[in-house]
Amino acid sequence: MKINKYTDEALGEEVYTATHSSGLEIRIMPKENIDSVYAIFTVNYGSIDTFVKQENGSFKSIPEGTAHFLEHKLFESEELDAFELFQRTGAYANAYTSFDRTAYLFKGSSNVQESLKYLLDFVQNPYFTAETVQKEQGIIGQEIRMYQDLPDWEVMFNLLKMLYAEHPVRIDIAGTQESIAKIDDKLLYELYETFYNPSNMCITLVGKVDPDEIFGIIDKSIIRKKKAVPERKFDPKTPASKEKYAEKHLSVASTQFLLGFRDELEKPLLKIDDEYASEIVMDVLFGKNSPFFKKALDEGLTTMDFSGSLFSGYGYSAYMIGGPSENPEKLSKMIKEEITRAQKEGISKEDFERSKRKLYGRSVREYDDIESMANLLTSLYFAGDKPFDEIKALRKLTLARVNKRLKSINVKKSALSVISPAE
Amino acid sequence: MFKITEIAPGVRLVSVKTDKYKTAEINVAMALPMDEKAAANALLIKLLRRSCKAYPDFIEFNNRLAELYGASVSASVSKIGDAQVLSLHGSCLDDRFALDGEALTKEFVSLLTSLIFSPNVSGNSFGADNLAREKRLTIEEIREELDDKRVYAYKKCIEYMCENEPYGKPEKGTIEEVEKVKMNEVYAAWKRLLSTAIIQITAVGSVDDKEITKIFKTKLKKIDRQPCEIETIFLKKPQRFQRHEEKMLANQGKLVIGYRTGMENSKDNYYAEAVMADIFGGGTYSKLFTNIREKQSLAYYCSARLIASKGIVVVQSGIDSDKEKPVSAGIIKQLNEVRAGRFDDETLSASKKSIKESLTLVSPDVICSFYASQILEKEVLSPEDMAAGIENITKEEICAAASTMVLDKIFMLFAEPGEVDA
Repeated sequence: MKINKYTDEALGEEVYTATHSSGLEIRIMPKENIDSVYAIFTVNYGSIDTFVKQENGSFKSIPEGTAHFLEHKLFESEELDAFELFQRTGAYANAYTSFDRTAYLFKGSSNVQESLKYLLDFVQNPYFTAETVQKEQGIIGQEIRMYQDLPDWEVMFNLLKMLYAEHPVRIDIAGTQESIAKIDDKLLYELYETFYNPSNMCITLVGKVDPDEIFGIIDKSIIRKKKAVPERKFDPKTPASKEKYAEKHLSVASTQFLLGFRDELEKPLLKIDDEYASEIVMDVLFGKNSPFFKKALDEGLTTMDFSGSLFSGYGYSAYMIGGPSENPEKLSKMIKEEITRAQKEGISKEDFERSKRKLYGRSVREYDDIESMANLLTSLYFAGDKPFDEIKALRKLTLARVNKRLKSINVKKSALSVISPAE
Repeated sequence: MFKITEIAPGVRLVSVKTDKYKTAEINVAMALPMDEKAAANALLIKLLRRSCKAYPDFIEFNNRLAELYGASVSASVSKIGDAQVLSLHGSCLDDRFALDGEALTKEFVSLLTSLIFSPNVSGNSFGADNLAREKRLTIEEIREELDDKRVYAYKKCIEYMCENEPYGKPEKGTIEEVEKVKMNEVYAAWKRLLSTAIIQITAVGSVDDKEITKIFKTKLKKIDRQPCEIETIFLKKPQRFQRHEEKMLANQGKLVIGYRTGMENSKDNYYAEAVMADIFGGGTYSKLFTNIREKQSLAYYCSARLIASKGIVVVQSGIDSDKEKPVSAGIIKQLNEVRAGRFDDETLSASKKSIKESLTLVSPDVICSFYASQILEKEVLSPEDMAAGIENITKEEICAAASTMVLDKIFMLFAEPGEVDA
């Protein structure tokens, strides 16, 4: 294995990376003075993967929620389940599924080598039966119901359904009661073989570790398979829904809204500098120190929970701005006017510098958090970036780039999602 | 290791000096008895967070924080036992990483203290507009919290359980109480805070503790400090067992069960209680997780939590509304299993390891919260002290702790399906 070393002098941090002969990417950030290790083993397979490319080049559709279902099932084995293994080392173990990834992780301060072996072992050795899969449908069914009662979650998915009429980002990560009912053990094994290929995976460790030792353990434990990276479907012209407004009643006391603008993608993933540029646009226009926010607050139109951010992943990207409001239509109109005004005038140098400095300080502080770092290194890998590329991009970010991103927002193409109290 | 400095009567600094991190964390926690002034106090801490004499407008203040490399300050209100704790929490980039060698943390500490000691007041008033805004925001915040059914059901259970104790009050007061607060009450709350609150400043990072001590000493010199006394009520037994229920438009029902542990104070039998609650409903090895979730598939979550500062254990679960009986029976049965000692050595060892792991604090914010939460304790403990206490607990002590648990209240929130799309 050829090991590469990356250093950032200003941060005083270093990262080692290697690509294993199986195709697995390994990334390690040693932190001598942090008494714990965070390890995360990630598959490039998430809820948006609802199609599998066949040998003849066509795409076959699979039920929604399979990545999340597999995540739940991998914790089981014929003998001890994964939770029982980690009880021996005391490490905290967990897993999660997002739109474009599934991740298995542990955090522990002692017996790290043993915990790492458990992690590598259980993710690479699936075991489930028709019966255990059926049992899991009950647990996941409750998980889906729990999320459906969360206004924040509902307001976002109702927006996504309008911004994307077909793209699977519109569906709950766990799927639906109907879609999970279609999942069985045979399908899960088949999808496991398709997606859980080392060349489609990355393992990252951050904390008190000896890189050589870690590379050694991983090298010995990886089960080699025929290299195959499942190809994802990308359609830059994926249609939006004709609906521009959705309102749902829940038993809530306050009205929530989310206004969305789709960010049209030429390539499946945004570049890091564009992501940062978008963050600065949102901060300058709608951040807690923006004149817009003050005005909205003074007029009683929203609360401290108002915010704007970019939401993006493989094949989808959108600006989402919102929060609680008694008058979502009025505030939405003001948001659109504010974007139009800013597009005409451009962001000032002073605002840009201040916002960039804020983002820089916060990004540097993130380096204190081993979990954030492990996630960051993994995200960078799947986006085709090297360690520290994000902080370099931020240091080099120019006002011109930020204003260009600002101008690319199409205010005419928006959708508004509202959650309001049931009568 | 930490260091304690007594600054004034009822005011101490707990500092953890280290250059491990890129962040400096400073927390100022101020405790008052939980009473009918809770709403005024809650509004006060929010007003203090918003501005100060030097930066009277909150946009200017937030701009200043942005310039300090995105330093952040947040205000929070919580309950620790029968005390209401008002906190200002600040995080700031360490000086070593400032691009132009600025003395960031010093500036930040001075900014943070000016929020408390030099607020934006004129003629005993925080400004009518400012108060009106904070009232609206606080009411909205209370509503939003309760829109989360899990939080709602939890708070309802506590409210019924501690009906006649200060702990039964909502930490920010009720919506009606917030609405009624007058300006003179907020101003009086500020004066009371400065002279009577028990205050703990917690600092983690390379912040200079001498500097903090000096600033606070100077500011407090002019104030006649008479720290309040806060006594938390610990009931050994509930006044009477009751079950309450409500119906709500929702997809999932919520079951909450409250127990009294029999603790007489927050340290009484603490380690045994902590391990007992963890084996009952903590980690993935716990009785509730392995039975209610894994074996019976009745819930996605079913867990128990010890609130040592009040001597209670609260079990929470998200379930199908028609499953209340089997789930509550299951929970009661699992507690009996713990009482009878029907858990193996591996579970005991897993629990101890897991608790000790959670005491391995690796980020500055977590270290800061760990110490800040001890504001009302006479003796401050380090994570290592606590880990040692956990290690010594025996199976017999756990069974004994489980045996003194008494069921107090059950709250069931039934989900009624049938939402209508507009």
